[in-house]
Amino acid sequence: METRDNVLISVNDLQKYYNKGTIKALDGISVDINRGDVMVIIGPSGSGKSTLLRSLNLMEHPTGGTIVFDGVDITKKKIKTPDGKWEKLDIDKHRQKMGMVFQHFNLFPHMTIMDNITLAPIKVHGVSKEQAEKTALELLDRVGLKDRANAYPIQLSGGQKQRVAIVRALAMEPQVMLFDEPTSALDPEMVGEVLDVIKELARDGMTMVIVTHEMGFAKEVGNRVLFMADGKLLEQGTPQDIFENPQNPRLKEFLSKVL
Amino acid sequence: MFTIAGFKKAFDYIDLFKQGLICTVSLSFFTVIFGFVLALILAVMRLSDVRPFRSFGLSKDGREIEEGFRAAVGRFNPISFIAAVYVEVFRATPMLVQLFIIYYVVFANVSFPAYKIFGFIRADRFIPGVVALAMNSGAYLSEIIRAGIQSIDGGQTEAARSLGLSQMSTMRYIILPQAIKNILPPIANEFVTIIKESSICYTIGVQEIMYAVAATKGATYRIAEPLIIATCVYFCLTFPTSKIIAYFERRMSRGDKR
Repeated sequence: METRDNVLISVNDLQKYYNKGTIKALDGISVDINRGDVMVIIGPSGSGKSTLLRSLNLMEHPTGGTIVFDGVDITKKKIKTPDGKWEKLDIDKHRQKMGMVFQHFNLFPHMTIMDNITLAPIKVHGVSKEQAEKTALELLDRVGLKDRANAYPIQLSGGQKQRVAIVRALAMEPQVMLFDEPTSALDPEMVGEVLDVIKELARDGMTMVIVTHEMGFAKEVGNRVLFMADGKLLEQGTPQDIFENPQNPRLKEFLSKVL
Repeated sequence: MFTIAGFKKAFDYIDLFKQGLICTVSLSFFTVIFGFVLALILAVMRLSDVRPFRSFGLSKDGREIEEGFRAAVGRFNPISFIAAVYVEVFRATPMLVQLFIIYYVVFANVSFPAYKIFGFIRADRFIPGVVALAMNSGAYLSEIIRAGIQSIDGGQTEAARSLGLSQMSTMRYIILPQAIKNILPPIANEFVTIIKESSICYTIGVQEIMYAVAATKGATYRIAEPLIIATCVYFCLTFPTSKIIAYFERRMSRGDKR
């Protein structure tokens, strides 16, 4: 019973088809994400890693299968409430509990860093402006960007932007953080500063799902590693299992190329 | 062609031009306001996600059907459809026809009080004029706004929605502020066009600048000089308008500079 309670997101037989099923971006993925997990998803490009991640908060609508988050199947348009009534699923409510960090940062260019971070807490959670700004400054301090609160996104470097994007997601106090190739658009010398922030989050026990091409980072920070290819989940296990004792030939081939 | 005496004669009727100027400005002012509100409504309608037959496109377990007739019905958005029809009809027919239909047909049996705005503008002609101009420019402006909204990178919507903001909040706080900045130049163009196009209301007897030209011509038997005066008046109206909007454009682009 205790193990069931520990599951935060349960993905079952998830499918995502394009062009009437000729392209299978996700071909029957099943995986449970536990609270406190740092799950790293690796695989060649086009393998469906990002699609899986983006399905978790319904940025992509799956063709089939279920995603149970916090006890609710969020792939359904309508859900049955405990008293047996059907009601419309409010995806915004669920997205508030999932932070997402994008490859291209997607900061709001017309707002200062401070406004980027405080917008959602103020407008969605109804936090007061003072409280939201106080929290934002604390978070910015943690990533070393307290002094840039009043800058605009274009004034920051890529690494700084991504750290702000992480803070923006954290300000909503999510139960899980989803990272979609957070360092792929960065200059090499800026990758470290972003990974350090993610590592610190991992130490604090944040549940995270990370799609990445940084194998060393995956090994170091992840407690579970998923290997995907062609929309299928081919192998999963601890970093030791995956990197030191790979079983699947596709995984062996992949690792020989990237390591 | 032009003679000093001709200008002198025409300037005897300068009060008509002053009235015409006031009339053109008010005509454009109300057109811009109503046209912009209409355009916003139309643009939001076109980009809306209202699907009344959505449940028809759901399978038994509450999932959306991907293709086929039921999927098409489930996706059908009547609000967007109405807005699209409106825009296409108003962009595909001449302004003059629209104006005549509104003045001679739609408002044919509407009796306005004999009120005169500013003491000289006849409300029974001015109001149909504003309605026709606003309905026409609303169609054009809505396409500009729609293009502006769609020009914003999809990542912005994704980021906002991933934070749990609703579709409406995303539009209001993220998309529109950026879109309006992008569409200021074409909107400025459209506002200038409205000022110029308002001259068409002369044909239904609104006392704007071209009406002053006709009246002066009738009284003085001179045409070149009143036309030159009208040209100057229009230029003095449209040129500063585009300059003022260019100023706001510069002010709004703060986030773009280092």
